[in-house]
Amino acid sequence: MKALIMAALLYGWSLPATADPAILVENAWVREAPPGAQMMSAYMTLKNTGPDDIVLASVESPAFTMVMLHKSVIVDGIARMSHQDDLLIPAGGSVELKPGSFHLMMPAPGERLRSGDQVEFNLIFADGSTTRVQAGVIKKP
Amino acid sequence: MKIHIIPMLLAAVLLSACSPPEPPQLKQGTLLPSAKAVADFQLTDHYGKPFTRENLKGKWSFAFFGYTHCPDVCPTSLAMLAQVMRILEKDNTLDVLPQTVFFSVDPERDTPELLEKYLPYFHPDFIGVTGDPQQVLLLTRQLGIMYGKAPGDNADNYLVDHSASIILFNPDGNFLALFGIPHDPGLIAQEFIAIKNYYEATR
Repeated sequence: MKALIMAALLYGWSLPATADPAILVENAWVREAPPGAQMMSAYMTLKNTGPDDIVLASVESPAFTMVMLHKSVIVDGIARMSHQDDLLIPAGGSVELKPGSFHLMMPAPGERLRSGDQVEFNLIFADGSTTRVQAGVIKKP
Repeated sequence: MKIHIIPMLLAAVLLSACSPPEPPQLKQGTLLPSAKAVADFQLTDHYGKPFTRENLKGKWSFAFFGYTHCPDVCPTSLAMLAQVMRILEKDNTLDVLPQTVFFSVDPERDTPELLEKYLPYFHPDFIGVTGDPQQVLLLTRQLGIMYGKAPGDNADNYLVDHSASIILFNPDGNFLALFGIPHDPGLIAQEFIAIKNYYEATR
């Protein structure tokens, strides 16, 4: 049964995604989390090379039970994280997910991800198109 | 002309040696007009030992206030503080290195056991401190550090808004300076030395 589910998952995952050619993803990485950390973060730059605005609606990953889109903001010296329902990537523009700003937040998996591991994300856009992204786990100095 | 300039320079040097030193000009840090004593508090370090005001005495201390469920700002700040330590470790003029203390503003979830796993990842000498939420409040209120729970994506997964400043305690255990965000490790290390030299020259 387990094998069947795995096969279904793998098959589902390997279905050709409707890649959105207008979105270019660069510098995708996952911050290696310290032992005991319950949450992890990932970063990347999304470039919209097309003539229309594109909205990132959600993100999925086989490595995590959940992927949330968050933004850290510092207001009057206070750091806050706010949940983002979606993320607009303007036509011809780009949005950088980076420390202290937009980021993906994921619950840390049971088996700790280590520097050098590779993780896949599937970006799902509001128009139904998707883009797959490979991100390496990195220990930041 | 030369013979006149040299005595003038000499006089200027002598004068500056006698007058009290000027407070350092800081870009990243803010020096308090006078160091602020801290009322005692009773917390626990990540080894399970008591951590009180006494633990801030006898050496300089950097303090950061955060929580381990914070995946973005807190690891960034702790990695930055580890860089500050690595810079200071190379400075031969320092007889005693400062300690770096991470005070949890989420003491319900951040147990000493969890901090024991979490903190050494950044630097083996970092100290994690947690304990009774009332005691955390007692300490942070005196330092102008603010924090509060904010709803997360679900009930068990709340977030904590918190001051991102780094506090510097002098070896008397008193609050002397703070470093606001964005943090630059090179600048913090440099300004720490300037603050320390000023403190020692004015004692």
